Amino acid sequence: MPPRKRPLEPSSGKPPPPDVKAIVPPPSDPPAAAQEIPPISAAILNNLPGPEREVYKRVYAAGNKGIWSQDLRHSMQLAAPTVTKLTRALVQRGILKEVTDVRHRGKKVFMDSRMEPAPEITGGTWYHNGQLDTEAVAAVRRRCLDQIDRLGAATPDMVHKGVEREDPRAGYMIDQIRDILKTMALDRVLEECRSTGEGEFSAVRSGRVCYRRGGAPQGGMIEGIPCGVCPRIDECSPDGVISPTTCVYYKKWLQMDF
Amino acid sequence: MVSQHGILLAVGIISDHFGPLVAKVCDCLLRHGELSLQEIVRRLELSPGQVKNSLLVLIQHNCVQAFSAPKGRDRTVTLYLAIFDNVLHRLRFSKFLSVIRADIPESEVLIEGLLQNGRLTFDQLVGRTISKVPEGSIRPAREEIRMNLNKLVHAHFVERCPKPEPFIDPLVVQQPTSSRRRAPKNFEKVISLEQKIVNTADLSDAERFSEIPYIIEDASDVNGCSRDPVDSAKRKRGAFEVDEELNSTIAENEVLWRANFEQFTFCLKKKFCADRKKLKLKVGTHPIWESFCEANLTEKDTDSVTSPINGILERLRQKEGGASMTLDQVTRVLEDLQCTTSNENPEAYTFDLRKMVESCRNEEIESLVKKKYGQAAFTIFRLLVTQGGPVETDQIIDTTILDKQIVHSTLYKLWKDDYVDTEKISSVAGTGYAQFYVWRAKSTFREQFIDNLYHAALNLRQMVNYIAELLLEGSKDDTKLRNRKNILILALTRHDDSLMLFHDF
Ligand code: SF4
Repeated sequence: MPPRKRPLEPSSGKPPPPDVKAIVPPPSDPPAAAQEIPPISAAILNNLPGPEREVYKRVYAAGNKGIWSQDLRHSMQLAAPTVTKLTRALVQRGILKEVTDVRHRGKKVFMDSRMEPAPEITGGTWYHNGQLDTEAVAAVRRRCLDQIDRLGAATPDMVHKGVEREDPRAGYMIDQIRDILKTMALDRVLEECRSTGEGEFSAVRSGRVCYRRGGAPQGGMIEGIPCGVCPRIDECSPDGVISPTTCVYYKKWLQMDF
Repeated sequence: MVSQHGILLAVGIISDHFGPLVAKVCDCLLRHGELSLQEIVRRLELSPGQVKNSLLVLIQHNCVQAFSAPKGRDRTVTLYLAIFDNVLHRLRFSKFLSVIRADIPESEVLIEGLLQNGRLTFDQLVGRTISKVPEGSIRPAREEIRMNLNKLVHAHFVERCPKPEPFIDPLVVQQPTSSRRRAPKNFEKVISLEQKIVNTADLSDAERFSEIPYIIEDASDVNGCSRDPVDSAKRKRGAFEVDEELNSTIAENEVLWRANFEQFTFCLKKKFCADRKKLKLKVGTHPIWESFCEANLTEKDTDSVTSPINGILERLRQKEGGASMTLDQVTRVLEDLQCTTSNENPEAYTFDLRKMVESCRNEEIESLVKKKYGQAAFTIFRLLVTQGGPVETDQIIDTTILDKQIVHSTLYKLWKDDYVDTEKISSVAGTGYAQFYVWRAKSTFREQFIDNLYHAALNLRQMVNYIAELLLEGSKDDTKLRNRKNILILALTRHDDSLMLFHDF
């Protein structure tokens, strides 16, 4: 099995080798640093009564991935109502928070309120409150397409720079842009290709993976006839109950109403 | 193995063209593979005469090939094998005709004769051509007809018929002697028995396409000398009581000519690819692509098109806007169009038709997925096809950046309709999940798609026949019915492009 991709890999710190030829300056901004985990708070620990302190310790230990209330209950060997009471008290005091796990929306997951939930829990950058932010995705797709239209053929790096230049506050990371470009290639909106370094690729170093417009969609020859898209084709036979001569789709298509 | 609906379609075509009896024999052969005369008689409970006549018709029209195979230690038996591809080609004779009309118009009547009659001798062709000349016009001379036929032979549109009954031991692998279906080594597929028999029956390329020489005025002389080796070899092989009679009727002492479907298919394939590519071309590159296609002279195989750069430039100069293009510009565009040069011949550009056909096939299937199940399904399906291996649900969600619920429901729909396969995998302890699911594009989705193509063609034909019956009854509005029939026939011709794309190209 390939490893799960959802947690975004923190960038290695070194700027990536330039995709573009010297006319464009190499990237200078350092990549965003990984989220810092705050140390466990002694003040909180000292102020909490025994059982609540125990709960807090365990929730803290689960880090930014949080802990499921059931797991908490099992590990502490307590009854469900007791755990509920303890966690509720801690949430009310602002020490813990409840977060939505994108993979299991029904589960109650608790986390130290000073921590930011891990992308695995939130679903990553394109998720908001456990829901896919389709508008944000659509917006960044539009921006990427604008850049491709402007540049002709471009590497993810070039697209990223272009987007940043147009809207410095947008704050997309290069990995996000790369992911978006990949889905657009899957959708055939874009085409992934290797630069030859010449012609429309003259701005891109030869051999680099880059993207360009995918061209008009092709195919669909079979869709012009009723049987091509028919949901009942498996039940249709020359002399069967469903057959071309009794077929409603054909009647409609040929306007056989006479 | 041909799919169920493929067989039904083929049998339907034969039934329409030659009647139910011949169709029955054809059906029997398509379903059971190669059979002897006795076996067909036994299975169909028809008289030997009926079966023999049906076989004659099928052989005459190149839909069946006879061959003799060893039986026991020193006896042989004649077996008959239906050639599915040739049956389906009957759907597209009009397309073949238009290829000739555009390429060698003066030979159209000859090719028409061969398509209609399957196999003809030169004498028969001459007789037929002369009979087609309208009253009062000048009759073509025999010599002119000979030249027109030679043009077809030279361009490989017409060939000498294969050996009537080659000896084939199914256990011995036969190497093709002719250019038929010659594929590059690394693509060599396992040759089916049908292909093996066709290959063995074929004459060598030199024989297949040897033209009628000028000196010989009387056709029977030609036949006498060129046929000899084949016939005497056949005679040497011994006595085939019933079948000899059958064979001798077919392979008279004269050379029989027939259309070479392979060459027609290749032409249509080139045209299909050229047209498809045109739709994707960028502004200003049209003339270059056209020049490349037109300048194609050498044919290494049926999977690529090669044109010399000089030829391309020459054609380009004659086109609007072409004269001003520099060599540099032209080569750059050619490279962008995926035309490549080789080290052996840096002066010629080759375009890989196989790759193009492959991507067209994918596009067709993907397009249908989109139409039937929506954009999300299209994206997911493409991911699974491009990945080739199993992909976990969460990874699909991540890579496609689609809503989880949508991914789940779409995968379910695709799974239900047999496009994808799924597998439950137990998770390692400690990951918080008991199990997860992986998905992969089903290896059979293409066969299923092709079977649906045959099914759709079968249905179109059934509708055409149905309307023809209504017309005969004369109870409904004639003009309207005729219109509908034309729509259906046109749709069938277009649909046949899909059949060719998936089966013949
Ligand atoms: S004939 Fe009608 S029911 Fe049968 S496959 Fe075609 S569209 Fe579907």
